[in-house]
Amino acid sequence: MSLSVLGGVVGILFFLPLLWVVTNSLRPGSETFAHLNPLSWQTFFELRPTLTNYSALLGSEIGRATLNSILVSALTVAIGLAVCATAAFGLAAFEFRGRGLVFGIVVLSFLVPFDAIAIPLSTMFRDWHLTNTFTGLVLPGIGNGMAIFLLRQFFLGVPAELVEAGRLDGLGWFGVFRWIYLPLSKPALIGAGLMLFLFQWQAYVWPLLIGTDAKHILGPVALSNLQGQNFADYGLVFAGAVVLTVIPLVVIAGFQRYFVQSVSSTGLK
Amino acid sequence: MKQRQGLIALAFLTPALVCLAVLRIVPAISAVVESFYTESLLRGGRVFTGLSNYTDLLGSKDFRQSVGVTLLFTVLVNPIQVVVSFLLAVLFTQKAAGSKLWRTLVILPIATPPAVSAVIWSVIYRPDGLGNGVLGRLGLPAQPFLTSPNQVLPSLIVLLSWIGVGYWMLFLIAGIQEVPVEVREAALLDGAGPWRRMISVILPLVRRPLAFVLVADTVSNLLVFAPVQILTKGGPNGNSNLLMYDVYNRAYAIGDIHVAQAEVVILVALTLAIVAGQFRLLRGDQ
Repeated sequence: MSLSVLGGVVGILFFLPLLWVVTNSLRPGSETFAHLNPLSWQTFFELRPTLTNYSALLGSEIGRATLNSILVSALTVAIGLAVCATAAFGLAAFEFRGRGLVFGIVVLSFLVPFDAIAIPLSTMFRDWHLTNTFTGLVLPGIGNGMAIFLLRQFFLGVPAELVEAGRLDGLGWFGVFRWIYLPLSKPALIGAGLMLFLFQWQAYVWPLLIGTDAKHILGPVALSNLQGQNFADYGLVFAGAVVLTVIPLVVIAGFQRYFVQSVSSTGLK
Repeated sequence: MKQRQGLIALAFLTPALVCLAVLRIVPAISAVVESFYTESLLRGGRVFTGLSNYTDLLGSKDFRQSVGVTLLFTVLVNPIQVVVSFLLAVLFTQKAAGSKLWRTLVILPIATPPAVSAVIWSVIYRPDGLGNGVLGRLGLPAQPFLTSPNQVLPSLIVLLSWIGVGYWMLFLIAGIQEVPVEVREAALLDGAGPWRRMISVILPLVRRPLAFVLVADTVSNLLVFAPVQILTKGGPNGNSNLLMYDVYNRAYAIGDIHVAQAEVVILVALTLAIVAGQFRLLRGDQ
């Protein structure tokens, strides 16, 4: 009994900021600070919710930035999965000299934290005229060493007999990859896809360095720009925060099983 | 045969290897190389200057303060987050009513991008924001939070723990659930109290995920950027000027890209040193 009370208190403490954000996204920005002194139940509930902030979002910079975030993340997942899965197949299905070395490079690449090299990389991207392009925003997300590592671990479990049978039936190596490995690996592919998606969706340093014009700005950067203004419309800020949180939440909830699997397998194995 | 296999494998590996080399490994090397150069107006172009970027940094009071703040922050935030996520993982793996729901509420902030969380907390920490509203309700005096030199780091730690603790907890919950139920029940039958069971049964069995969480958490906290850039800009008086923000500031506000590269190298070296130290410590008490 006392354990569930303790759990409840902790859970609610963590939830309060989000509840407050949702509540304030449903009331005019002018009322954001209305129910804070003294705190009352109205701080966290709105009896006359309005969707005006959300409709204002549609025509605003945050609305556009959110669409950009969706585009960039979708491209990253699609291209990134193709790149990472083929590489994982190359590492898992073949025996060749230097395999250990290649695998070492993959592991090394995810031990170098991306944010640490974001600034040197951004100077390179400037020289290549990739600032304020979608290519520049998407590229760093597609070669994800961790995703390659995860997929390789899964691919190693594909039975050799199945591959032999496929080869005897006349499948080329790409056919083996496409028709045997990929269909058997849906859970791992979803897990890796989620990892690529969250990497892009949550990115802040890179989009701040590379995509700052109105056409290429991403959600989190646009939201922090709005917040920095003196007369910010907090209703809009909160509605933007809700949208930028709900989208990944829906994705994670939809693939919950694979999310927990991909998280726990990075830590344990 | 083996050679042919190698060529085919290489074909599959090439796109990823090019990406990893160009996007991860080359910039890391380039940071090291560029850190030994400087831009010279007189000679028009870059000039090799050896270690002078590093000695300039070490001679700068602001840089030394930034290193100090980063170390202090590291020493505070990591033990707090690891201990809290462990305690929560233990709490939420007990049989108790509503455990699943409460656990979900703790995990929920993971979905919020860190920069969005920072924006949300910038409103919470305003003088008239939710933070002081809650303190007022509890009968406590209002606090300055981000504008106080003493409160700015604790405020960032609270915000970062709100973001991160649920994530780290997931690894530890997975670890605890791998402990066979019989082991946990046997301890219960032996009459071990909850505290005793946590320390002598669960703790040793989740060593590996715990070590991973400690290392990964440390690395991510050494690279904290968004909350500093959005909430404090390193202030007040440099008291939240964490290295990652200082690097960014040096590269783009001050425009001294070569010294910034030297600072990146120092930041990565510091990270490696701390992680190596943690590994030694963890192996030491086996």
